Amino acid sequence: MNLKKALLPIALFAALAAGSAEAQVNVMLPANPGGGWDATGRQAFQAMNEAGIYTDGVNFTNKGGAGGTIGLAEFQGGQRGKPDALAVFGAITVGSIILNQSPINLTDFRPVARLTAEYLVIAVSADSPHQSLQDLVAALKADPGATAVGGGSAGGVDHIALALLAQAADIPVADVNYIPQASGAETVTGIVNGTLAAGISGISEFAQFAEQGRIRILGITSADRKEGLDVPTFKEAGYDIEIANWRGILGAPGMPDDNYQLWVDRFTQLNESDAWKKVLETQGWDQFFLAGEEFGAFIAEENERIATVLKEAGLAQ
Amino acid sequence: METFSLLLQGFGVALQPINLFYALLGSVLGTAIGVLPGIGPALTIALLLPVTISVAPTSAFIMFAGVLYGAMYGGSTTSILINTPGEAGSMMTALEGNRMARAGRGASALATAALGSFVAGTIATLLLTFAAPAIAEIAFYFRPADYFALTVLAFTSVAVVMGSSRVRGFVSLFIGLALGLVGIDQMTGQARLTFGVPALFDGMELAVVLVSLFAVGEILYVASRYRKNASEIVPMRGWAWMSWEDLRRSWKPWLRGTALGFPIGALPGGGSEIPTMLSYTLERRLSKHPEEFGHGAIEGVAGPEAANNAAAAGILIPLLTLGLPTSATAAVLLAAFQNYGLQPGPFLFTNNPELVWGLIASLYVGNVMLLVLNLPLVGLWVRLLSIPAPQLYAGILVFATIGIWGVSNSVVDLIAMVIIGIMGYVMRVYDFPIAPVLIGLILGPMAEQQLRTALAAGQGNPVVLVSTPLSVAFLVLAGLFLLAPVVLRRLRAGA
Amino acid sequence: MPNSIPEAPAGGGSDTARPWWLGGLVVALGCLCLYGAFSLPQAARYAGIGPGLFVTLVGGGLVLLGLILLLQIARDEQFIPQDTEDASGGESAHWPAFFTALAAALAPIFTIERLGMPITAMLSFALVAHAFGSRKTVVNVLVGAVLGALSWLLFTRLGLQLGGFLPMAGI
Repeated sequence: MNLKKALLPIALFAALAAGSAEAQVNVMLPANPGGGWDATGRQAFQAMNEAGIYTDGVNFTNKGGAGGTIGLAEFQGGQRGKPDALAVFGAITVGSIILNQSPINLTDFRPVARLTAEYLVIAVSADSPHQSLQDLVAALKADPGATAVGGGSAGGVDHIALALLAQAADIPVADVNYIPQASGAETVTGIVNGTLAAGISGISEFAQFAEQGRIRILGITSADRKEGLDVPTFKEAGYDIEIANWRGILGAPGMPDDNYQLWVDRFTQLNESDAWKKVLETQGWDQFFLAGEEFGAFIAEENERIATVLKEAGLAQ
Repeated sequence: METFSLLLQGFGVALQPINLFYALLGSVLGTAIGVLPGIGPALTIALLLPVTISVAPTSAFIMFAGVLYGAMYGGSTTSILINTPGEAGSMMTALEGNRMARAGRGASALATAALGSFVAGTIATLLLTFAAPAIAEIAFYFRPADYFALTVLAFTSVAVVMGSSRVRGFVSLFIGLALGLVGIDQMTGQARLTFGVPALFDGMELAVVLVSLFAVGEILYVASRYRKNASEIVPMRGWAWMSWEDLRRSWKPWLRGTALGFPIGALPGGGSEIPTMLSYTLERRLSKHPEEFGHGAIEGVAGPEAANNAAAAGILIPLLTLGLPTSATAAVLLAAFQNYGLQPGPFLFTNNPELVWGLIASLYVGNVMLLVLNLPLVGLWVRLLSIPAPQLYAGILVFATIGIWGVSNSVVDLIAMVIIGIMGYVMRVYDFPIAPVLIGLILGPMAEQQLRTALAAGQGNPVVLVSTPLSVAFLVLAGLFLLAPVVLRRLRAGA
Repeated sequence: MPNSIPEAPAGGGSDTARPWWLGGLVVALGCLCLYGAFSLPQAARYAGIGPGLFVTLVGGGLVLLGLILLLQIARDEQFIPQDTEDASGGESAHWPAFFTALAAALAPIFTIERLGMPITAMLSFALVAHAFGSRKTVVNVLVGAVLGALSWLLFTRLGLQLGGFLPMAGI
């Protein structure tokens, strides 16, 4: 701690000497404006600014495409060794890297912090005969072809969650009739009009249609029940699965240790700030904080788990 | 008349000076950025999202509604005047609109576009006010087989833009289909026709193809054949905006375009492309002057323009009444709602009536504002054509570059711009029609996705494709569109 | 910058006579698709249609169309260039002008990241204007630079990412 305190004035001085352009933080948002990653990055720094944790300029770069792998590949190459270069990424990136055989190596980056999660829910039409998750899984087991399940793109978090569910119920993952939909809206309409026997997606995309009485949510992938949503977890239903669409922050490969520690501290402070809590509430995100090397270990675990599932589903070699 | 009194309250909100100012600001911004090739309303609103931090929700949404409509107006202006559609929804406008402009009737084309958009926007807003919940249900009614049949119906629009040679028309269409296949296959996650270039994983950006084929191809072609004395454009003959004749020929296409655009816009993934294509096909089939099509038929501008504006209003219905975002623009608007901690849907009407009705009222205000802004500006826009050709085309290329670069910051897109631009040049020299490329590019992926979804859900049984009344109706209509001219010719020949 | 003066038409009228390469190009495009389809599964478990099927169909269609086109060319099919504003189709191509305009379209690939939008716009603008026969080069360069700079300011303010103003100067 002392070292850091001593370094701070020096760092400040160096920053001033180098001019304002150098003092700026570069943040890669590997998605187009308006999406979840874009919001995560911008809102986090907005909250940091409000809470007085970091109030200087931030330079955002949007570079969407292929589950974040395009932007992250550019970040990996272009910002190597930079002291204040960060990138937003998430669970989807992990799957996309494997699926697209992208040359990105996640262990190359410095894991700063995992910030938020959105848990997934599985739902059926309100007039579906399936009243519980067990009912649905039984149907899936009896005739997987006739029990089409819709969700996000192939190999995405939704698909992986369903594959894990199948695994837990001893259904061959390759037999599952998973139909990727172009958007959450299409999944919802597909469930309601009976094209899909069930659908899987983030809570925010399904919750209000359940409130409207159009669909029935059968299970949630979180560890504990979510407040305000009377739905059992997958674990309660007897399937030992926990999965979330998490989002976090990576530091540039070869980021100097002092800067790295500084950013881990800043995001830890952010996580405890009221400004961030307000953001979580308005956006409907769940807090899912993990910092530093522990987060690095988590990424490695996720990588392992997702790779195994994708192989079983026949999507990756 | 509870709705009516709520709407009146909404006007009370929308007509506050500050909100009028935001409506004006949104309309102007939307028009300005709609003029830039490739940058559509979704990106514009996404870029403006940060204002949600400092502006009250009602004002922000009023501004966004202005952007949405303004971008539609802006896109048609460039289509008509310089044959450079800003986004796919105004592609069909370019076909006839630019011909009209070349014949000195640019002002009539712009006027019918502006008035048609106004009429469509107003009717659509009325429907939104009084029938939104019922219309929103359409979204749930459509199944993959219906979507597939709808794309088949839209494919019939290829037939009417085929040009002089069937073979060359089909070559254009297939090139478009091939371009549409590039990228990661959504159903299986496999890369197709990317040849190992990661920048192609998300597919060919529609905006890049559109701008390259139209703008860059045109610049190369005209440059190689330009002679100063060949410049015989009649830039100003259309000062008197619209004649009675124009109006008489326009009003039906406006209404038909609205009827197509509004419900399709309310469908998930419906967008503005399919209704504009259908509207163009319909007008060409119904027209009493079919010989004018391809040479500047006003119906071919009036219909698609009304359709694309009605579609823009259509996307608001499922968003506001159900919280269902049916297009990229709607998804961005949903993100804006979430930034305020609001969730659109039936509960928004009861919890935030002031916001919802203020927004709906502001759509009326925005429509009037855009008409007032655009009609007088028609004369000014037409003046663009009196810029000398060297500087005019140079400016078009600069704006095309800014548009393509601004969308993705990708050098690969700039390389694609040159290659596809050269293709556009070759197609002009050897008389291949341009529009089928884009029809293939837009409809191909949609048709494939819906076909595969329908078959996967039906476990491979093709009967599923004709299992709903709507799918049968669309397929029959498609058959009629294709066969009607042939049958009519036979009948006439026989009589 | 090319110094050629676009007055003497080059190339003659040969570009509309028997363009074998055109049919060949379409066949080649089709083969490219078929090559791409080769490594993709044609069938899928439940849908029946796999990711490769459409690619195969489109590739096959292009090959077929290319062959028909070649046949038409052999039978002396006429290709009449489209009439466009400011250009009459009957005119033969003027290659120096074409390549100057092409250079304008190519320029951003090399300059936009290193030199920034305003300089790129200046180059492209001046080249296109030159291709169209304008010889007021100084004026064109100035107009291009001003147009690029103003657009950069306006659209960057609106939130578009257009890169640095003058990356060499670190702005």
